[in-house]
Amino acid sequence: MRRPRSDDPPAPAPAPAPAPEPAPDPSAGCGADPAQAHVSRELPHDRPLICCAFDPTGRFVFAGSEDLTVRRWDLEAESPSAVPFAGHESWVFDLACSPDGATLLSVGGDGRLIWWCASANEPSPCRTIQAHEGWARSVAISPDGSLAASAGNDRTVKLWSMADGSLVHCLSEGHDKPIYAVAFHPNGRSLISADLQGRIIDWDASCGEQRRRFDASALYSYNAGQQVDYGGVRDLAFSPDGDRLACGGLVNGSNPLGAVNDTAVLLFDWEKRTEPALLKGKGDLKGVAWGVRFHPDGFLAVASGGSGGGHLLFYHPGETEEFHRFSLPNTARGLDLHPDGLHLATAHHDGKLRITLMRPQPE
Amino acid sequence: MRCSYSCRSIEHVLSRRSFLGGLAAGFGAAAGFAGRPMGALAADLQRGGYQILMIYLAGGSSQLETWDPKPGTATGGPFRAIETSVPGVRISELLPKTAQQMHHLSLFRGLNTSEDDHGKGHYLMHTGRRQAPGVEHPHLGSLAARFLAPERDPLPGYIHITPGGGGFSGKDAAFLGPKYGALTLGNGNPPVNADRPGSIGEAEDLARHQLRMRLDRRFDTRRRTAETEAYTATYDQALQLMERRDVFDVTKEPTRDQDRYGSHDLGRHCLLARRLLEAGATFVKVTHSNYDTHNENFDFHLEQVGEFDVSFSALIADLAERGMLDRTLVIVNSEFGRTPNINQYYGRDHWSKAWSVALAGAGIKRGSVVGATNENGTEVVDGEAHGEALFHTYLRAIGIDPVIDEFSVNGRAFQIADPAFYPIEDLLA
Amino acid sequence: MRPMVPGALAAPIVLMLLASGLRSAPAAEAELSLHERIDRLIEAKLDAPPAAPATDGEFLRRAYLDLAGTIPSPEEARAFLDDPSPYKRDRLVDRLLELPSYARRMQYVFDATLLERRGDQHVPRADWEAFLLRCFAENVPYDEFVRRILEADGSEPPEQRAPAKFILERGADPDLLTRDIGRLFLGRDLQCAQCHDHPLIEDYKQAHYYGLRAFLDRTSLFTDPKTSRAMLAEKAEGETTFQSVFRKSVTHTTAPRILDLEPIADPELPENEAERYEVAPAKDVRSIPKYSRFDQLAPSLASDDVDAFSRTIANRLWALMMKRGLVHPLDLDHADNPPSHPELLDLLANSIRAMDYDIKAFLRELARTRAYRRSSEPPPGASEDLVEPSRFAVAGLEPLSPEQLAWSLMQALGVVDAHRQQAEADLDALEADLCDLCREDRDRIANRPWRIEQMVHDRLAGNVRGFVQIFGASEGQPDSSVESSVHQALFLSNGPLVQSWLNPSGTNLTARLAAIEDPAAVAEPLYLAVLSRRPSEEERAEVVSYLESRGADQRAAAVRELAWALVTCSEFRFDH
Repeated sequence: MRRPRSDDPPAPAPAPAPAPEPAPDPSAGCGADPAQAHVSRELPHDRPLICCAFDPTGRFVFAGSEDLTVRRWDLEAESPSAVPFAGHESWVFDLACSPDGATLLSVGGDGRLIWWCASANEPSPCRTIQAHEGWARSVAISPDGSLAASAGNDRTVKLWSMADGSLVHCLSEGHDKPIYAVAFHPNGRSLISADLQGRIIDWDASCGEQRRRFDASALYSYNAGQQVDYGGVRDLAFSPDGDRLACGGLVNGSNPLGAVNDTAVLLFDWEKRTEPALLKGKGDLKGVAWGVRFHPDGFLAVASGGSGGGHLLFYHPGETEEFHRFSLPNTARGLDLHPDGLHLATAHHDGKLRITLMRPQPE
Repeated sequence: MRCSYSCRSIEHVLSRRSFLGGLAAGFGAAAGFAGRPMGALAADLQRGGYQILMIYLAGGSSQLETWDPKPGTATGGPFRAIETSVPGVRISELLPKTAQQMHHLSLFRGLNTSEDDHGKGHYLMHTGRRQAPGVEHPHLGSLAARFLAPERDPLPGYIHITPGGGGFSGKDAAFLGPKYGALTLGNGNPPVNADRPGSIGEAEDLARHQLRMRLDRRFDTRRRTAETEAYTATYDQALQLMERRDVFDVTKEPTRDQDRYGSHDLGRHCLLARRLLEAGATFVKVTHSNYDTHNENFDFHLEQVGEFDVSFSALIADLAERGMLDRTLVIVNSEFGRTPNINQYYGRDHWSKAWSVALAGAGIKRGSVVGATNENGTEVVDGEAHGEALFHTYLRAIGIDPVIDEFSVNGRAFQIADPAFYPIEDLLA
Repeated sequence: MRPMVPGALAAPIVLMLLASGLRSAPAAEAELSLHERIDRLIEAKLDAPPAAPATDGEFLRRAYLDLAGTIPSPEEARAFLDDPSPYKRDRLVDRLLELPSYARRMQYVFDATLLERRGDQHVPRADWEAFLLRCFAENVPYDEFVRRILEADGSEPPEQRAPAKFILERGADPDLLTRDIGRLFLGRDLQCAQCHDHPLIEDYKQAHYYGLRAFLDRTSLFTDPKTSRAMLAEKAEGETTFQSVFRKSVTHTTAPRILDLEPIADPELPENEAERYEVAPAKDVRSIPKYSRFDQLAPSLASDDVDAFSRTIANRLWALMMKRGLVHPLDLDHADNPPSHPELLDLLANSIRAMDYDIKAFLRELARTRAYRRSSEPPPGASEDLVEPSRFAVAGLEPLSPEQLAWSLMQALGVVDAHRQQAEADLDALEADLCDLCREDRDRIANRPWRIEQMVHDRLAGNVRGFVQIFGASEGQPDSSVESSVHQALFLSNGPLVQSWLNPSGTNLTARLAAIEDPAAVAEPLYLAVLSRRPSEEERAEVVSYLESRGADQRAAAVRELAWALVTCSEFRFDH
């Protein structure tokens, strides 16, 4: 496994190309070149990280940690400290930023959904809701910033008003197993939830009715020898125009308790009811697709972590084989794409949040 | 080379007991032997009517996600600790129902078994000995079948309920002989051959048995030995077992209880265990799989411990309510615990240095916690004891003094527990 | 001790004492046959008359079980019972010892003894059984037999490596082998002398344990990467050292050594390490030293110099016939657990050595003793002391081994006969094209019973293995650890295998009995087939009454129930 070396770009690296501008036009090609991907910065923390998110202005990056906090790094600072957001009594499993970048939501194993002022100097919870029984595993904010969705082990999806934190809908009839991920469609009208068994439900976000189901059970298996359910949809992402839905997870879970499984992504066509495409890592890469993100240029980025190590995999539309793999120095557990379209953030077990720049390395 | 201390050595035990010379148990009395000789012991034990329930969490359950949580520490994982029915005693939030039964339980948090291999850990936790080449020791279930089970008990003395296949195997009994092996009820199904062949009616079956008994009487009148007697008695047992084969049928239990115990395998198996114990079974082991969570420890423990919590709490509550807890030793164990360190797969690995078991019932203190680990659970800081000592504790709890009581099989004396260890007195009532 | 029996019962004792008194001169004693000397030593210790001689039926069944491993066919039983000759018992013993079934019986006995129901990981069972069968068919002397087993290291060609099963199935573990070699060949369970001198048995020293282990300490289990076969590899160096756990300050070193005999010193080893090897150790290479300590084991142990060796096999064969050892348990031979008859054990040990370890001849002598030929029924009014098994005043009683039980059940219920007839027909068909000369070839004729036996065995061995599972010991335990269990009773009562044998079909027992119209004519063939004797009047009446109570239309079912009751009663279950 590759370890950071002294000749790696030091952190902070030479200023990551022009300091990210707020909200660049996603339709404009930004010049990202995954084949040139390299780690441009390592933002350190002393405990394992679980998930990560950029704020839409591009100034901050956040990560949830096993130390029960959210951490924030200021990308404009030369050596930013990991500012703690303390409010959870359990691990922080997922983060979401409001479109204006002002509000950060976090969910955790304590079932809480917490509102934070994303840029506060000394962050403290603005609002704490006991959202779920048991773990809250996923949170998402609607494109217009009016609704938040959360889901968890209690098999319910809940829709909340971003404005006052009131419960708008409780969607409890739909999943038989813990829900692992929620996401809004770019059109804002559909809310997607996905669970351990690979059941995906398309909910009408306005009335809370089920519209459709997608079958991602290829990402799930029951192992009779070990008597465990295993797999599930570990992350969801829509393509920018909403025509494709990527579901990260794993296949070939031959030894769930021993982490023997292959990284996999199921790619659904949102409109056509065709069979989803199965994207795997070349050579049956061992691991889990913990994070999936579409790039405005059309390609898909996947963060893989597990016994095969940490990797970023890149797929062109319409292809099931990766066109590039960038190997990270530590197993990856979460992924987000910077609004500039050039930087990817990955959360790592070794406590580091890594920023990967998809541009040639400076000489 | 590690010495297995499997023998009864004068130096090993001299400070604690009178030396028993010779091979025959009888010689001991003359030498001023302090414990009970076999005959008296067997009578005492059978009068005690002790039963044992073992819930075995196969694969190595995590002490941190069950009996010894360390929330908020680097090793604590995502789960919180909750209050229990015993003020001040907190256990993992994965055990909310069990927490309400804590006043019946004793937790031992000071276990250091120094054995991280599944097979060897399993052996140690079932036999109270370390595995050594050239010698096999009987499992607790087989000892119970041999020394606790009433003579001619129609129910097999050692019943094991587990997912997967069933059958009878003498392996666990080692030198006690296969009779005291485990009857495994695979998936909770009744034992094989417990049904009369379809072609034979009840009356015909009885008639052929009566004929057999007349033949036996004629032969045995002049030649009766313990062996012929034991042989003919097995048919009485067989007939009684066939008559009572309903005790293996958990669906005969009220629907309400089936719901309360959970619709999963463990729920059915725990309810079957209750049914068997009520029917007088001496030793019932229920295996719950699988806790060997090198990967995604927390997701898997959430499911497994969640099932365990529902079924185990219902079972403990019922045993207590029905007055069975006083004579039933309840043991919840595993082959080892899991590492405080959380690995890169969100998993925990094998860890035997500082882990926990839960005990309840006969001879065990109630609502107490013995032993303690440090802040992040990486070592025992109070009341450390080994697996061999735990085994002594089980025996003492059911009225056997492993230090002085006399055991022999086929004229060979043997030490029922490793003589280099003592019981954990603080756990004993 | 029981006082002398007064009156009529005393007479035989007086006669007996007179008889032994007449020939008490040492010279005369030496001329006596071995079996007579055995009986005198046994009877000299009795103070009351022993059990009466066994009835013909009792003796026939016992001799068959002990020497052929199964009960006789009803025809053989009838013929023996009706034979008026006073020599018929001797003749029976002589005949049984020459049958293929004798070799088969000994194959089973020594398989269970030597392997203790271990699995078949390294050497195919069929090869091992064939090796044992051939040894006993050829009556290979016991010391030679043991040497073949203990010199095999698994590196032999496949057709010759069967004897290595003893070592290989124990994983070549030096401790396990030390313990089992001590137990099985030297009558000493030295397990407790592993960590220190035995705490209870003064005769068992830690030095004995390590002396044995020193033969094995340089060996290890090697798996040939090409053939995947397991075998022993050995190093040319490495000392066996030990310390008492109680005196760790003192370390002893021992060369290979059998008990208290002289240690076997290594020859001078070349200075150059490479020169000590035929094949030097390397990865995936089986190392072979020029001087092998392991090679010393077989000749040193199975040797006339080792008293314990002859003593142990004499005691084991005695126990095989008499159902109890003179030293008992068989592997606890030491001063504080003396033999019940010390002089007798000395006599037997010396005799078997003098007979060049001829097992067959030795068993023949035991089978000729009065002690063997007694009834298992104690004489009326016998004292507890007299019926005590170690007195050998009453014949011993022992449950059938799993193999004896399986074969006896199949014999009784007509399964064996059906397969034998089929095997004979098959062999005839096979040989139909042979020329007359070939067919009358003497070797071929002599071989025929062996071939038939093998064919029947091959067809039914699967059933026997099923019985071993249920009635045998667990892996690595002696069969003596088996007690009757409810699972066995359920298997015999309800199990489909036994039921299928009981259901009338073809010419099996129940089909033959169901075809007999006269209820009074059923009992005799039933008893001859199952219990190898004729029924008593009471038993005849019982059968008639059972059949009549079920009515003629239920005859088949009633016969099946009668046969079941007979095969499950203790008279059938035990060798008595």
